[in-house]
Amino acid sequence: MAVAGSSQRNTSQFLKRLRSSLPWYPFIIINALVFVIFNLVPWVSMFRYSILKTDLLSTREFVGLDHFVRMVTDAKLHKAMLNTAWFTLMYIPLLVAVSLGVAILVNRPLRGMKAFRAIYFLPNITSVAVLALIFRRFLSPRPDGPLNFLIGLVGIPPQKWLIDVTQAMPSIVGISLWEAFGYFMVIWLAGLQAIPNELYDAAKVDGANGWRLHRYVTIPLLRPTAAFIIVIATIGALQVFGSIFILTGGGPVNATTTVVYHIYNEAFNFGRFGYASALSILFFAMILIIALIQSRYLRFGDDVY
Amino acid sequence: MAVSETTTASVEKPNLIREAIIYILMAAVAITTVGPFLIMVSVSLTQNIRFIIFPIELIPSPMTLENFQTLFARTDALRWLFNSVYVAVVSTLGGVITSSMAGYAFARGNFWGKNAIFILFLGILIVPDTALIVPQFVVLSRLGLVNTYTALIGPWFASIFGTFLLRQAYLSIPRDYDDAATIDGANLWQNWWHVLMPQVVPTMATLAVLRFMGNWNSFFYPMIVTSKSDMRTLTVGLGTVARSGGDAGLDMAGAVIGFLPTLLVFVLMQRYIIRGISLSGVKG
Repeated sequence: MAVAGSSQRNTSQFLKRLRSSLPWYPFIIINALVFVIFNLVPWVSMFRYSILKTDLLSTREFVGLDHFVRMVTDAKLHKAMLNTAWFTLMYIPLLVAVSLGVAILVNRPLRGMKAFRAIYFLPNITSVAVLALIFRRFLSPRPDGPLNFLIGLVGIPPQKWLIDVTQAMPSIVGISLWEAFGYFMVIWLAGLQAIPNELYDAAKVDGANGWRLHRYVTIPLLRPTAAFIIVIATIGALQVFGSIFILTGGGPVNATTTVVYHIYNEAFNFGRFGYASALSILFFAMILIIALIQSRYLRFGDDVY
Repeated sequence: MAVSETTTASVEKPNLIREAIIYILMAAVAITTVGPFLIMVSVSLTQNIRFIIFPIELIPSPMTLENFQTLFARTDALRWLFNSVYVAVVSTLGGVITSSMAGYAFARGNFWGKNAIFILFLGILIVPDTALIVPQFVVLSRLGLVNTYTALIGPWFASIFGTFLLRQAYLSIPRDYDDAATIDGANLWQNWWHVLMPQVVPTMATLAVLRFMGNWNSFFYPMIVTSKSDMRTLTVGLGTVARSGGDAGLDMAGAVIGFLPTLLVFVLMQRYIIRGISLSGVKG
């Protein structure tokens, strides 16, 4: 009797909940559909295809974990991982230094400062294709090419830039830096402007000035911003693709083949979609682990976020 | 009196020098960012130019639009331009509206599965785009969607970042508005459209600009899902121009065509872009 009553109450409660829920679903249905089709289904199929050998046309056979075993001996993959690490290790410190330096430079109430900030942001609004079109010309190996001419003014002999095995990756770093520093400058500025002036006044009262002011007030208070920038920029750096695809095609002699470029190559030039899916899983795990380590080490999330 | 004057002068003087140094430094950085664009425009207006050679004359004589005519005649650039405009506009409108709807539901709704769906969305957000490119292509090719506008626009028709952004905006509006609207007999849709949405227009504008720029400039995904030239977006098409190695005038004409629309949006909507970045630190 009592049980029947409570289950009846449960049913009516469930119906009531359902009735109050239903009107909300139309608001999220398009979002949900898009994510299912373009994220969830690909996400699941990434695992399904990682154990298949397929070119999406004729062949399709089950290979188990062979693809993951193959990664151990895939010399090109190892080279690609080293290249990705090399790119990231050059790019991140330079990016942090340049963008912070410029942010401190323009973080003053001087005339025309807003225009300068907008100008610095300009490279960031362009697409990688425009960037590549321009820099393929600027990095021309000809002695009268723009960059070779400019370094010639200070007595440096002409360089080969993108077609040189050792210079290709630093050239890509330079282009990425040029494109991105304005964007990160804006984030630094937001961090700088969030520091209350009273802290500087207090530090001055305590006898700090000049460099010590930055050392003991600015830098400690920018720590959360720095952590955020390093994590975001690293995730972006690990995924660099467009400029490499257009400018070097992974060359010369695989000098700029990154992990993403290797995945692209395996899938779209060799038709190995199974192996490329397995590599995508590896790549995803790599990014996740690096981001987690960074977040923990940099204590991202302690103070502000 | 005289002493005090000299002290003020000695304080002022280094400040002036300091300011001058700052301006010189800022101008130097500005030259590195603007210089390449100026040369791009200059070369695009120069006749018969195969290579960019320094020292360069910034104002070409004679000035000509020949490179642009050749570009439009020899490539599908006009079609790419149309594709880019169409895809970017539909993607932006779609993404902003669906974000506004879902953001409203997550801010105000109390429906079964809300938290689970919210966490699922967050999970999707942490998957890096490039890791999903191959499986996305696999799924789209099985659905027969390669070389379609559906494939180009699809993933942009909803934004998790936008949903979170709008949810925050709706959460900052007092519930009193909803209550008053309900008493006046408004249903959920009317409450969303007429009462709450007008108050989050700045946030929607911010999102719209970020989405438009992000879509316009995207390269990897649209390149993967289009193989026919007439379905390419401008960015992807210009990528093929860059790889083909034509002459410099043609290349720079392409670069100008690719650059101008984003410059226009940037000039008009700069406020929203900066706001969006400092708000979130995340693009698109």
